[in-house]
Amino acid sequence: MAMKGRFPIRRTLQYLSQGDVVFKSSVKVMTVNYNSAGELSEGARKFVFFNIPQIQYKNPWVQIMLFRNMTPSPFLRFYLDNGEQVLVDVEDKTNKEITEHIKKILGKSKETLEKEERERRKLSHPANFGPKKYHLRECICEVEGQIPCPAVVPLPKEMRGKYKAAAKDEA
Amino acid sequence: PSWGPRLVPARGRKTRHDPPAKSKASRLKLPPPVDPEELFVVTERYRQHRLVLGALRAEFRAEVLQKKREALLSQEGSAELVEEHQRLMAWNEEENARQRARREERLRKEEEEQKRQKLQAAESRASKMEAVLKEKEKEILQLQEEAKSFITPENLEARIEECLDNPRNYNFAIDKEGRIVRRTVLS
Repeated sequence: MAMKGRFPIRRTLQYLSQGDVVFKSSVKVMTVNYNSAGELSEGARKFVFFNIPQIQYKNPWVQIMLFRNMTPSPFLRFYLDNGEQVLVDVEDKTNKEITEHIKKILGKSKETLEKEERERRKLSHPANFGPKKYHLRECICEVEGQIPCPAVVPLPKEMRGKYKAAAKDEA
Repeated sequence: PSWGPRLVPARGRKTRHDPPAKSKASRLKLPPPVDPEELFVVTERYRQHRLVLGALRAEFRAEVLQKKREALLSQEGSAELVEEHQRLMAWNEEENARQRARREERLRKEEEEQKRQKLQAAESRASKMEAVLKEKEKEILQLQEEAKSFITPENLEARIEECLDNPRNYNFAIDKEGRIVRRTVLS
């Protein structure tokens, strides 16, 4: 397996899907200004290194821009679609605090996420059969404990139509 | 198809690989006859029907999408959501203000610290200077005192006389305990 970079765990799907910040649909751009040196920017640097991949994974349509060493103190800026700009000062905060903060002010709440999840589940019924792209199973022979596919194992004579028809004709 | 009693194969006796009978050699298989006007009318009617149905389907699809979009928008632009957003923005502002206060506090402390350090440095420097001056003064005083017992050309004669008059005996012995023994007599 390819392990690239200093913390290759950041590239795993499991790590990325563990990000819990899902922005509201009104957030379009996120800008991070931070410094590469200095104790006060440490939290921001960790945030950029560890948490931004998770955020981008969960919000693929939000543009994230990083600016290095442009201002003396680190901050985040969000641009919403109604033109509003939200400034978040992150000096002297750990990366966990920063994620909690932005989850609180601009993230979808757990209820909203659960509701959306329920809506999505309502669209597809797990008991329906059909193409693998849209349903779980194509045929009942795929389920464990049911009769195997007649293409692989022929059905016993009593269950086959031609035998039953012949028997009825005879009788 | 399952060969039940309803579905009987049309082939009958022969399979598909057997040659056809000699009596069928002159058989000319023709497609069913078609009346062109009737065909035209029927196809035209079918075309119009399908056109109308397709249009209806598109219409209903668009309507459903529109309804969904409207529901989403109305749900988003509702008053409580806006109010919630305002509340969160206000909280964010407070947080920023708190951070500002903390930062000012920190800067102030740092300034004070720096000032204190400067003062201390100045004090230590001053005290060092004083100590040095004191040392120098002490040395000068000591020198002055010593200068009293210097031999100058004026008291040269007197000092020589003095030395000659008082011979000093440097002969002594010392044991391990540090007791000095003067036994030799100056002659």
